[in-house]
Amino acid sequence: MNAITFSQVRKAFGAVQAVDGIDLTIPAGRSIALLGPNGAGKSTSISMLLGLAKIDSGEISVFGETPAKAVEKGYVGAMLQEAKLPSGLTVGEIADFVRGLYPAPLELAELLELAGLTELAGRRADTLSGGQAQRLRFAMAIAGSPRLLVLDEPTAAMDVESRRLFWASMRDYAAGGRTVLFATHYLEEADENADQVIVIAHGKVIAEGAPAEIKRMAGGRTVRFTLGEQPSAGLDALPGVTAVEIHGATVTLRTDDSDGTAEALFKKTTLKIRDLEITGAGLEDAFLSLTK
Amino acid sequence: MIKYTRLEILRTFRDRRFLFFSVGFPVMLYLLWTNVFGDDGSSDKTTGLTVDTYMMVAFGAYGAIGAALSTTGPRLATELQDGWLRQLQVTPLRSWQVISARIVTALTVALPSMLLVALTAVITKGVSLSAAQWAGTVVALTLGVLPFAALGTLIGATVKGDSAQPAMLMVYFPLAIIGGLWVPVSNLPSFLQDIAPYTPANRMAELGWDIVGGNGVSGAGVLVLVVWTAALGALATFGYRRATVAA
Repeated sequence: MNAITFSQVRKAFGAVQAVDGIDLTIPAGRSIALLGPNGAGKSTSISMLLGLAKIDSGEISVFGETPAKAVEKGYVGAMLQEAKLPSGLTVGEIADFVRGLYPAPLELAELLELAGLTELAGRRADTLSGGQAQRLRFAMAIAGSPRLLVLDEPTAAMDVESRRLFWASMRDYAAGGRTVLFATHYLEEADENADQVIVIAHGKVIAEGAPAEIKRMAGGRTVRFTLGEQPSAGLDALPGVTAVEIHGATVTLRTDDSDGTAEALFKKTTLKIRDLEITGAGLEDAFLSLTK
Repeated sequence: MIKYTRLEILRTFRDRRFLFFSVGFPVMLYLLWTNVFGDDGSSDKTTGLTVDTYMMVAFGAYGAIGAALSTTGPRLATELQDGWLRQLQVTPLRSWQVISARIVTALTVALPSMLLVALTAVITKGVSLSAAQWAGTVVALTLGVLPFAALGTLIGATVKGDSAQPAMLMVYFPLAIIGGLWVPVSNLPSFLQDIAPYTPANRMAELGWDIVGGNGVSGAGVLVLVVWTAALGALATFGYRRATVAA
């Protein structure tokens, strides 16, 4: 059975078409990344998937149910962006309370262990650090042992170490055959933690595939320099180059082997290269190249 | 829903500000008022009660209303804004269960302020009632909190975040004053005396005054409370739907 299907889902806010006809089929038991820049329609798609926002047209089903029904039946657990924790309660009390709302939850001890909160169970939630609070939000999302775990930019407020721990917890949870869908705008996170990546931009799915494929499509880096009046012929044949863009006197080469490209620029051409600059392609750029 | 109610009650009693303003404050006001005005042994013109007894019911009601308003209004407004209620929406807990639990919570946390004012009245002023009168008063005032739980929910659902607290106080104080909870209604300006019988705080406290005075409960009073509860309840339901159900 499919965990999630979207068919021709649309949603507008006033004149802005936030989601513009998304079709998706996500089989159960996989970890899926929803990758896209800010404003691409990720959060709106997730809100509709969780029954928090109405669908203008089209249909979403979660394990064969409508989103609201799936939530009600306890199929879904979610970590929302910037949801505050209630005051006056301890970590253990909150985790245990959320467990109690689901028909077949995780054991409390197991839950705290999975989320890395065992030591913090007696602490008041309002005294937690940013990373610890995020772990508690994760605990609330998995407390009911949901078949579908939805995470909306879960690592946004975390430092590097918290991120590493967080994704390890997420993979432990997913290993039980559960379906995980997470939104991110970091290509690396999608690459390392998903079996499949769905790229969305401007409310549409623009690419879908295994992480490695998406990473290749998105192109690794850019090599930029001032070419001036010199001819640009042959630049596209340099090693690693996937695209050549010329704006006035400036050339931008997209490459998946920036070292090789730069070396060849100097050794294999007679061009006079000025203002050389090598940068990692921002995701925004990568998406632009995918949308073309 | 029972779990959520329990959680909310636990949270409320851990909130020091709540304990001070809703439980401690009415007791302090009671002591202050009865010691300033209570010496002459005179009785209130409309209810025929001594100041000590009149004020016991009045500040019991005052505290109960405050407890109910503050656990619904400002708390709901904050939670609607900060995402906690959204988080609850993605669990199997339904919206109607959330609201029902909040109302049961409001009624429950109204109890300690009433009981503490009553205890103070008994200890310091020697107020004495029959067991049936005590029980009747507590039950009547607890049910009388209902329109205020609805009013608080309405404020919480329609007023944004930090403005909910002042908005709540802006209805709380006037209703308490017109209702005769601070000074007897008979001491109010006459135009307020005319309005008082139509306001919920007055009719709620009246239930208590009637019971402790050994009079029958006023049918008109119950009707006024039922109408307020129904009207505010309908508005609150509508407001809460609009605030939570997806656009």
